Amino acid sequence: MELKTFTGGIHPDYRKEATAYKATEEIALPEEVVIQMRQHVGAPNEPTVSAGDRVEAGTTIGSTEAFVSAPVHASVSGEVTEISEQISFSGALVNSVTIKVDPDQPDKWTGKKNLEGITPEQIREIAKESGLVGLGGAAFPTHIKLSPPADKPIDIVIINGCECEPFLTCDHRVMLENTEDLIEGLKLMMKAVGAGKGIIGIEANKMDVVEAVESKTASESGVEVMPLEVKYPQGNEKMLIDALTGRRVPPGKLPSEVGVLVQNSGTAVALYKAASTGRPVIDRIITVSGSGIREPKNVRVRIGTRIEHVIEQCGGFVNNPEKVIMGGPMTGFAQKSLSAPTVKGTSGIVVLTGKETGESEERECVGCGKCVDACPMFLMPNSIVKYIKRNQYEKADKYGVKDCFECGCCSYVCPARIHHVGYVRIAKAELAAKK
Amino acid sequence: MNNAKGFTVSAPPHIRSEEEVSTGMRDVLIALVPLVAVSIGFFRLYAVVNLAAAVLTAVVCELVMRKIMGGKATIGDCSAIVTGVLLALLLPPVVPAWYVVIGVVIAVAIVKELMGGLGCNLFNPALFGFVSLLMLSRVWQPIVYNLGSINGVTTATPLTYIKAGALNGIRPGYWDLFFGNAGGALGEVSVIAILVGAAYLMYKGQITWHIPLSILGSVVVLSAILGANPLYMILAGGLMLGSFFMATDWVTSPDSKYVQVIYGILIGVCVVLIRLYAAPTGAVAYSILIGNAFVPLLNGLIIRKKFGESKAVA
Repeated sequence: MELKTFTGGIHPDYRKEATAYKATEEIALPEEVVIQMRQHVGAPNEPTVSAGDRVEAGTTIGSTEAFVSAPVHASVSGEVTEISEQISFSGALVNSVTIKVDPDQPDKWTGKKNLEGITPEQIREIAKESGLVGLGGAAFPTHIKLSPPADKPIDIVIINGCECEPFLTCDHRVMLENTEDLIEGLKLMMKAVGAGKGIIGIEANKMDVVEAVESKTASESGVEVMPLEVKYPQGNEKMLIDALTGRRVPPGKLPSEVGVLVQNSGTAVALYKAASTGRPVIDRIITVSGSGIREPKNVRVRIGTRIEHVIEQCGGFVNNPEKVIMGGPMTGFAQKSLSAPTVKGTSGIVVLTGKETGESEERECVGCGKCVDACPMFLMPNSIVKYIKRNQYEKADKYGVKDCFECGCCSYVCPARIHHVGYVRIAKAELAAKK
Repeated sequence: MNNAKGFTVSAPPHIRSEEEVSTGMRDVLIALVPLVAVSIGFFRLYAVVNLAAAVLTAVVCELVMRKIMGGKATIGDCSAIVTGVLLALLLPPVVPAWYVVIGVVIAVAIVKELMGGLGCNLFNPALFGFVSLLMLSRVWQPIVYNLGSINGVTTATPLTYIKAGALNGIRPGYWDLFFGNAGGALGEVSVIAILVGAAYLMYKGQITWHIPLSILGSVVVLSAILGANPLYMILAGGLMLGSFFMATDWVTSPDSKYVQVIYGILIGVCVVLIRLYAAPTGAVAYSILIGNAFVPLLNGLIIRKKFGESKAVA
């Protein structure tokens, strides 16, 4: 079978075997959950409950009038104990609702609705009400992506089933365990934007999913699955669109520019669940892995569960952990402590030990040019870093620093161990401040 | 449950390839093994003494200069050893060891370390050391450089035949050049040993075809136009060694592929013009150094086209 891909990129050690073939497990509920008012790209929510209130799982507890936003829901039934600022996975303080978890958690989303005759407007409304955001990690509100501008019609919806980050297997499990929901979710998205074609792009290290989807889409017209070469960052939407359709999104533009909508596979499944059962986003599948974890596995976790609890439920640490990463090892956030709660965009908790991080002192660039070859955006990371080091941010801008999506390929291949991504973030902040 | 010393927090990515600067330099040294072996087989003790003197001096120079300049010790990256070996390979076997030592001091202490160390140098240290010796040798007579046959160890370098236009049986034949019977500098004895090493470097991803092939290609084309024998031009002298091992030096070559091709052509043109119309000895070294000087300009001249900038929307 022909495998599609993009130009540039890297082949890191994926190390997905630890969890790829383990079915998703339920974990014990924590004593309390911390629901953050900002779990998405856009305006933060305002709490709609106060300390002392009783809430049921699925109750909206934070919302806002702002357009680019997504409401948050109580992920458990219990009592609101506190509304306060709590540290988030990125290290920022975010207004949060703390809920003491009831021992008994009834599941009320059992019946399935018939979705024939559902309108595009209803689909967007469901996405919005259920608080759905891009579950691959970007956390962009889904209902906005499902509302493309009238002058930019969408003809292809792509489901991103690449999961190109090392260690992570949550999308793999979600797709394998909810294949029908995945396809139904894609069809809802196609309906919402009026697209005639749907493609599910899956990296070739998940051929079991490719086969499962193929067997269920054989009779469908307009929906197909395409296997992709295993290469990082295949799951970036620009790279994925290029690989699957040959269309290239121009610098600074969105996929709608080329008539494409890309959604993560978990988002499609969650959209179908929300539409068919009314269940909002109150939990998600997270991969807990890395050589610092005693029992690596894929677990279903309520939104707002602290990292510490999740790690305890996976047997705790082993082998002297060095780095605790929220997300994947290429783009995730290193944690100082274990108190940050999981959010809708949390795809993994990866614990690395000792030398695994490859951390060592940065030295002078030796001009090997490997970063230039690896950059999937065809930038020149070495030149960009050179100008940032000299505080020449305008020069860095000219070399395209704002087009960098921080995949980290340059730093990964750099023999001088330069932290390109760190420098790029500084430059972006400086350039934004100057405006 | 918190780790007592706290977890490390830094910007992503949190994993790195195993490749370090030392890995690249070690690959270059491994790639030079066939050539070093042939040159030792050919020149025996002369080669051993010069190689040993060069490597030893390079290591000492870097250690001392790092101490003086107050930098961190970087001897572990092996780049000094690479410079030492390359410089020894650039010189004929008959030059005395103290001569090699001077060249290496210029290369490592001045051209590399005084500029700030590996990554800060504008010129290829080994080549700069070599051309310095070429010039100094005119001052320091009666050190005889590459002239005549001494103890049967070396013969006139094949390049002198190019200049003289000699086409009779005196010059070394193609096969001699290829397999190792040519005379000249240590590193000029066998083209095949160089190609084997170059193939290894390409396999390891440390160099790509862009620079060497654009040099060799432009040499072939231009020498054919100017009436010189193209095959002899690329097989003789230091062109092979220079193209695969020196023009491709990470630090002193351009970063993007387009620019690398321009750089290669620039060097190739210089090689032919210098060989045919100036001095054949050192033509490759001078040409690559000229190329090095153009690198900052070339790097700044051409900015790579960004993803999505070139291709029309479907």
